[in-house]
Amino acid sequence: RRGLGVAAGPPSSRQLREAEEAAPVFQYAGKAARRKDRVFVWGFSYSGALGVPSFVKPDAGWKKPRRIQPTPYRLETEEKISSAACGYGFTLLASNTRDITKVWGMGLNKDSQLGFQRSRRDQTKGYEYVLEPSPIPLPLEKPQQTRVLQVSCGRAHSLVLTDNEGVFTMGNNSYGQCGRKVVEDEIYSGSHLIHHLKEFDSRVVQVVCGQDHSLFRTKKGTVYACGWGADGQTGLGHYNITSVPTKLHGDIAGVNIIQVSSCGDCCLAVSDEGDVFGWGNSEYLQLASVTETTQVNVPRHLPFKIGKVKEAACGGTGNLVLTEEGNVFVWGYGILGKGPTLTETAVPEMIPPSLFGWSDFSPDVRVAHVRCGLSQFAALTNKGELFVWGKNLRGCLGTGRLEDQYFPWRVTVPGEVVDVACGVDHMVSMVRSF
Amino acid sequence: LNAVPGRAPRQQVRFLPAPAPGGGGAVELVAARVPVLADHPLVRGPRFRKLKIGAGHRLDVKASGVFVLGIGHGNKLLTDLYNCHLTKVYTVGGLFGKATDDFSDTGNLVEKTTFDHITREKLERILAVIQGTNQKALLMYSNIDMKTQEAYELAVKGLIRPMGKSPPIITAVRCLQFALPEFQLEIHCLHETQQYLRKMVHEIGLELKSSAVCTQVRRIRDGVFTLDDALLRTQWNLQSIQEAIRNCQLKVERELERTL
Repeated sequence: RRGLGVAAGPPSSRQLREAEEAAPVFQYAGKAARRKDRVFVWGFSYSGALGVPSFVKPDAGWKKPRRIQPTPYRLETEEKISSAACGYGFTLLASNTRDITKVWGMGLNKDSQLGFQRSRRDQTKGYEYVLEPSPIPLPLEKPQQTRVLQVSCGRAHSLVLTDNEGVFTMGNNSYGQCGRKVVEDEIYSGSHLIHHLKEFDSRVVQVVCGQDHSLFRTKKGTVYACGWGADGQTGLGHYNITSVPTKLHGDIAGVNIIQVSSCGDCCLAVSDEGDVFGWGNSEYLQLASVTETTQVNVPRHLPFKIGKVKEAACGGTGNLVLTEEGNVFVWGYGILGKGPTLTETAVPEMIPPSLFGWSDFSPDVRVAHVRCGLSQFAALTNKGELFVWGKNLRGCLGTGRLEDQYFPWRVTVPGEVVDVACGVDHMVSMVRSF
Repeated sequence: LNAVPGRAPRQQVRFLPAPAPGGGGAVELVAARVPVLADHPLVRGPRFRKLKIGAGHRLDVKASGVFVLGIGHGNKLLTDLYNCHLTKVYTVGGLFGKATDDFSDTGNLVEKTTFDHITREKLERILAVIQGTNQKALLMYSNIDMKTQEAYELAVKGLIRPMGKSPPIITAVRCLQFALPEFQLEIHCLHETQQYLRKMVHEIGLELKSSAVCTQVRRIRDGVFTLDDALLRTQWNLQSIQEAIRNCQLKVERELERTL
């Protein structure tokens, strides 16, 4: 017989086992694999606020510009972003590095709210729409030691908070919201001016921008305000504009405030003992529990019996607070999150925790943070899930649909959501990958 | 079954000729109860020659667990139970480090990977994401208009579920045991197949930047029927079957009333 080798039949189980043991082992992630930090954006893109130029000016001729990005889209950034803020058609991203470039801005720049962005075509003029995250040069004394802690954006102005050099403001100052004297007929477009504020009683730890006013919270627990006051949102006891940051009194005098929030013309503050104080516009029943007037120009204590409040978020027409037990309460006007029938209430109503993923299976799911946009609300749970509800203006909720959302709905993000910033028609979130 | 004494033969009233009490010759008709000949057991034969048995939700060859059967008139209840769309609970066992072509440990090996970077925390994070996306699918496939107040109320109570055809949806996942390289999950799901559960184990392995195969799929609950109601192989005899049917009848009726 010709020896042509052994015929290959089906492999016996011993051969299979040996082949398995001899197979190479692949390693995709080592023990020290670190989770990466990413930024996701979604919403209206034509203003450039999403930072993706191909949405506004497509890179190939056959591609169409994308007006709305309805689901989260990853934004590539050079550094790890620690703080983000959304204004009216523009966004600021900040990283707490010691490098020279610490803040990037994109979107509308008609009032120099993103600083001066030198145009490449004409060296003397600046860009009016910035489509990509561009560095904002800050006039720091020690640029390689100071870190940027937080950024905040209003309608046409922005504030940057550093750790030991105070606050920098830029943008529109027609109501004194940048903290400097109002100059008549000042042209804000293409302006190089970035104002520096450092006269506060102690270090500033939080800056918040309302629509045309600014609030500063210091380490001692005092609050300063400047800007437009026709609705009483500066809380200084009058309805005029203020161009220098002035301390607030009223019911918060002597109280240690741990958080301030504002988005439109109403403001909320939370003290360390869990009390809520409010001032500003009350046309939508935001402060109706204490007064019938529609404008409150002195901070008033809001006597709610809902428990110790941990965090508050103030939106355009509705307000949101989070208590120590992890419950979320909403009041005001608009789509409040309890179905289409509840459109306005002066007394806080609780949103059932089962809508945020709490169930008999996962009884330890709780809401960790709350944020507000102009007519949207967002809540972050301790499991890293993001829930949004409210008016879906140009796809800003990120649910993938363009309809309004009447109760909390999950946004699918590939990662654990750490923080979210809400604007009028877009949102930015900071996410850690799995 | 056929040995059980059947019902007594029907009686009928017939007028039978019987001799009259008077003199001989005259025949009188007397009413008497007489069993109908057509009902006699020797004429009729054994009562049960065939039994109609229907099966509930399918169970794979490689899987094990509760399997619901309907006998005779119970088959109609089976369609009703199917339309209730109740969740089924499985215990799924998995093994990290291997990937095979049919996602179970008896398939052909595709790849081997390291898995020492996996911790219970990472696994639970992935399970939370899976639950989140499946919750969204639950709401989307239930065909309820999200803008109505009743949709909000059902969502608060957690009663929204798809009442028609839908892709497999997982309502809850929990990690029961975690001992590298093995782990065990408890999965509550709707409209799924066992191969889908094995594919999910494989995908969990991929998300954790490693690979996983499924070693065991066991159904522990199918709607109202739990492991306690199920009969073991040794108990497949008439008495236990009848007892089990009697015990479950009430539960099934209550569930059908509640849902439909």
